Amino acid sequence: MHERLSFHIKRDSALHRLNPLTKIFLVLALILVAFLNPWYWTPHLLVLIAITPLSLLARVGAEYFRAAARLILPAVGFLFLMQAFFQPVGEEILFQFYFLDVTRESLMFAFSNAMRIFVMVSAFTLFLLTTHPSELMSDLTRRGLPGQFSYVIISTLQILPQIQARAQTTIAAQRSRGLETEGHFIKRAGSLIPLVGPLVLGSLVEVEERAIAIEARGFTSKSLKTSLHDIPDSSIDKALRWALAVIAILSITLKLWLS
Amino acid sequence: MAFVNLQNVTYQYPLTKSPVLQDITLQIEEGEFVAIIGPNGAGKSTLCYALGGFVPHFFKGEFSGMVEVAGKKSSDATLDEWVLTVGLAFQNPFNQISGAKYTVFEEIAFGLENTGVPREEMKSRVEQAMAQTGITDLSDRSPYTLSGGQQQRVALTSILVMQPRLLVLDEPTSQLDPIGTREVFGVIRAMAERGMTVVMAEHKMEWIAQFADRVIALKDGATLLEGTPQEVLTSDLLTENGFGISRYTSVAREARRRKRWRADVPLPVTLDQAAEGFAFTPPS
Repeated sequence: MHERLSFHIKRDSALHRLNPLTKIFLVLALILVAFLNPWYWTPHLLVLIAITPLSLLARVGAEYFRAAARLILPAVGFLFLMQAFFQPVGEEILFQFYFLDVTRESLMFAFSNAMRIFVMVSAFTLFLLTTHPSELMSDLTRRGLPGQFSYVIISTLQILPQIQARAQTTIAAQRSRGLETEGHFIKRAGSLIPLVGPLVLGSLVEVEERAIAIEARGFTSKSLKTSLHDIPDSSIDKALRWALAVIAILSITLKLWLS
Repeated sequence: MAFVNLQNVTYQYPLTKSPVLQDITLQIEEGEFVAIIGPNGAGKSTLCYALGGFVPHFFKGEFSGMVEVAGKKSSDATLDEWVLTVGLAFQNPFNQISGAKYTVFEEIAFGLENTGVPREEMKSRVEQAMAQTGITDLSDRSPYTLSGGQQQRVALTSILVMQPRLLVLDEPTSQLDPIGTREVFGVIRAMAERGMTVVMAEHKMEWIAQFADRVIALKDGATLLEGTPQEVLTSDLLTENGFGISRYTSVAREARRRKRWRADVPLPVTLDQAAEGFAFTPPS
């Protein structure tokens, strides 16, 4: 069973120490540049000169490459194949697969799109690897995000694995009473019904108790909330955010100007 | 004026036909430890909610009467103000974990963050509270990886750190195994010795006998009996009204029926009293 739903790896690095908002700016700037820059090789270059070095700088290189190889590449690879085969552009046919033509243009198009998605997903992965969810949420709450909103995000991340564990218990309990959970599709779908009842009703009952528990700890207090952890926001953070905002605006302007 | 003062408290949950609390009047002095016993559905939890301000602020329904703690009326306060005066902990340890925090230390600080306690004070209060309840070694663990007894002690600490004037415990050990029960009662004992005013709804008579200054037996939302643990827990009225009683009391009562318990010795509620009583009884 997973203890929690989080990619965060606790390390000490320059990237870890950045303010979460700065990292969000970084992710958004990377995505904007990858998608809007007219030069064909921009996304590839970003992976080479930005994302890979950043993952090494953050000392999460191994984790990042593992995530890239296991999660991102297969998904992006699938996208690449679909677009390469089904994009009806271009004249110069490289090869045919039954009725599907792969042209030079469709291949180029698919590759560049796949790389853009790769940049987007890896930038987010890097963000999640280096940012603790509670740090992110406390920082955003301090900047005016409603406390209820961040509570919903964080508690979902924590409680989902618990619900998953309870689903397993419920399945085991129902199976021990003779419920068949294996076999053909209809039988398996039918076996979900005795699982859903206890799980959903149980969770609803819990919601009330949890509401009482957090009320008992002043969750709806109108006083200004404080935070246990100090989340640093240095002048470097502020300068970086300005620089990244300028990059983002420049790439949007460039895109508008060229079109 | 008593520290805790309930005047004619009557309450009926929405969509129910009869009131669950009926005309309860009750005074508790500062530093007193009061146990509330009663069969299921007697209104123990609802009484705890009424003290904690959740009736009528959280649960709607028909409420009349007055709950007053430390000179303040619950009807005059909002719930978030009231929880600073009265701390409430309840049965299920798992559901009392906020879910918003990743370590025990953060979990205990949650209430202080919500109520705007400055960071330095927050840290020292959390450390102090953890030392009091003996969970300092759990500080960096995830609250979800703890045992039930440990989770319940974290839940208690999370309430105690807010420094309430009155602590209300609604069957804090009913979902725990014997080891967890002993751990949690250890914390409650420490609180009682520190002079905390405590109201505890509980089924476990042996433990009540050790802590309580006074026991209140509830039946159908009204007070049936009130007095010292010795008086209440050995009363014949309890068994007649479907209350559970301590095994020491029930064994001694059976012994008395068979004339093996001296008539002038009161029935026991603790192991020590039982052992003494049986030792003095001459075999016939």
